[in-house]
Amino acid sequence: MPVAVGAVVVAGFAAAPLLADAGSAGLPDITAQQLVTKVLEAKPVPMSGTVVYTARLGLPDISSLGAVSGTVSPADPINLLSGSSTLRMWTDGAGRSRVSLLGATSEYSVVHDTTQAWTYSSKQDAVTHYTLSAADAAKLKAEQQKHAQTPVPGASELPTPSQAADQALSQAQQYSTVTLDSQTTVAGRGAYQLVVTPKTSGTLVAHIVVTVDAATSTPLRVQVWSTDNAKAPALEVGFTDVSFAKPSDAVLSFSAPPGAKVTEKTIALPQHTDATKPTPSPTAGALPQNVTVSGTGWASVVEVRGVKVSALLSGNAAAAAAAARNLPHPPTAQGQDVVSQFMGGDGTDPSKSGSGLSASTLYDGLTKAVPGGRLLSSALVSVLILDDGRVLAGAVPGTTLQQLAG
Amino acid sequence: MSHAEPVVVAPGPAPAPAGAPLDPPSPQRGATGRLVRSELRLVFGRRRNQVLLAGLAMVPLLIGLMIWLTQDTSTRGEGPGFIGRVSQNGLFLVVAALFLCLPFLLPLTVGIASGDSLAGEANAGTLRYLLVVPVARARLLAVKALGALAFVAAAVLAIAVVGLIVGAALFGVHDIALISGGSVPIGNSVLRVAGIVLYVGVSMTGLVAVGLFFSTLTEVPIGAMAATVVTAVVSAVLDTLPALASIHPYLLTHHWLDFAEFLRIAPDSHVLWTGVGVQAAWVAVFGALAWSRFTTADVSS
Repeated sequence: MPVAVGAVVVAGFAAAPLLADAGSAGLPDITAQQLVTKVLEAKPVPMSGTVVYTARLGLPDISSLGAVSGTVSPADPINLLSGSSTLRMWTDGAGRSRVSLLGATSEYSVVHDTTQAWTYSSKQDAVTHYTLSAADAAKLKAEQQKHAQTPVPGASELPTPSQAADQALSQAQQYSTVTLDSQTTVAGRGAYQLVVTPKTSGTLVAHIVVTVDAATSTPLRVQVWSTDNAKAPALEVGFTDVSFAKPSDAVLSFSAPPGAKVTEKTIALPQHTDATKPTPSPTAGALPQNVTVSGTGWASVVEVRGVKVSALLSGNAAAAAAAARNLPHPPTAQGQDVVSQFMGGDGTDPSKSGSGLSASTLYDGLTKAVPGGRLLSSALVSVLILDDGRVLAGAVPGTTLQQLAG
Repeated sequence: MSHAEPVVVAPGPAPAPAGAPLDPPSPQRGATGRLVRSELRLVFGRRRNQVLLAGLAMVPLLIGLMIWLTQDTSTRGEGPGFIGRVSQNGLFLVVAALFLCLPFLLPLTVGIASGDSLAGEANAGTLRYLLVVPVARARLLAVKALGALAFVAAAVLAIAVVGLIVGAALFGVHDIALISGGSVPIGNSVLRVAGIVLYVGVSMTGLVAVGLFFSTLTEVPIGAMAATVVTAVVSAVLDTLPALASIHPYLLTHHWLDFAEFLRIAPDSHVLWTGVGVQAAWVAVFGALAWSRFTTADVSS
């Protein structure tokens, strides 16, 4: 009797994933080009689901570095550097979305509503409200209306999605080979797998697999495989559960919980907003004076001069702010958010990266000393921070960076 | 200690094969009901258990008073889990108290209640009298499980009710602030906290079955109690080892903290049912083990 019960229980747990995986086969055969066309044609759709993110970057366990006490891991974006995290996301496909990073008994939420966004950390009970200035909001609105009048943005350059797919593919094929892998099932949905393999052997990236839902052409999973590890992807983010129903309004709206600390931030739009143009390749755009890019394609290395890392880590707010200004800020608003979050650009104590972990502890834990500076080497990206103020970064092995640095 | 007397006098014409294995349920009507009543009287009448319940009820009282006394100091709002939110909303005292009791105090309570159930009778020499009752052994086991479950439910409820009363008296009851941001109206808030209490209670059932099984193995109640508590602690330790990530979802304690789902903006029923399902699996396996052991055991004391 106990044996029978045990067998039934084991069978029950083993059968659940099998049932979920049923119905994967039988998608029509298509080519890589057709798949890319479908993805580019697809309009953003309302969807919601659970996303599991796993990083196997070969970095030391963040939680072992510092004051994370107990077995309860709090929801903190810093945890995304290593290990597995669960997120939930909802979007209406039209500018409103919510993404929640789940901790055991905590949550870090990012709610986005066209021209404004909120982040809420339940651990710190703190809300940050990002808004565009009135002028910028008007500009964005005007631009959106302009786009509404010309139904296909940038009509002269990108007349149809299939031509855009051509362009994207040919750009990708300059440095990579693009192939289709066998059909698979992600979150219970039949899906195609697009595999992008770099042509060069000088990069840490072995290949990237993008899994695309067959019905809606929405990417459901992205895996980045490192040359270090052929058994498991170094970075994997994908839905474990997805629904294409419209999320409820309550989920997509945000109100600060009573008693929470609210910080207001106004962010400026970057000067040249043109969402219609394809992202320029790193060499084409005008780079800040202290940045150079060497190498091509996957083996590109970015070099930044004049970075005072010690000032960033010292905990001296003024010095850190000065040093942070010297950094080339990412051109997008999101990028600036990330920088200001991690640099403490709002005047909060910059030695804390918002996680209670001291930034210098984190820095010392993640990097190791090499001649002339410190090296962060992970399965996908290496960063070499030299004592003379140069920082080199790229998806290449650390030794390549050291050779380049001379 | 013994509760043999109220049942032993039960008039029964067919006492002979009562304790035998694979005995069909006795046709004696009312015997089971009397056994349940007697078991509940025994469990709740025991001084040790009453003290334990009172001690558990002290937890929210102490936390509430501590937060109330320190709410004007600089350490206000600091502490693990939900402590920081209690001073804004008394409802969170229920959640904070359950959260603090989950790792050790509640498993201890479960261990005492379920570990003692059969081993205690065997130790006192009353188990063989109990087996004379015209009730099948399987049913006796079920009655013992029911007694342990009732006590654990009472323990969780004691924490919740005292937490609610103390929280409401000291901090008032307001709309609950979710950990996703935002808040929900008072009626929904109370429902969500009730859901947490229910989920925590259900989370204990697997451990009750484990304790019941250990209780059938020994005549030393303290051994069964300790083994039950150790099971919970070992499970919690295994849950922290990244190397064992593949077995984590099936561990007894892994889903205990999922009660936090009730505090998210859109509680995912799939997560909650997974937790309930894992408990059901543990109940099935260890319930079957306890049944197979107890229905075939040679009871001599």
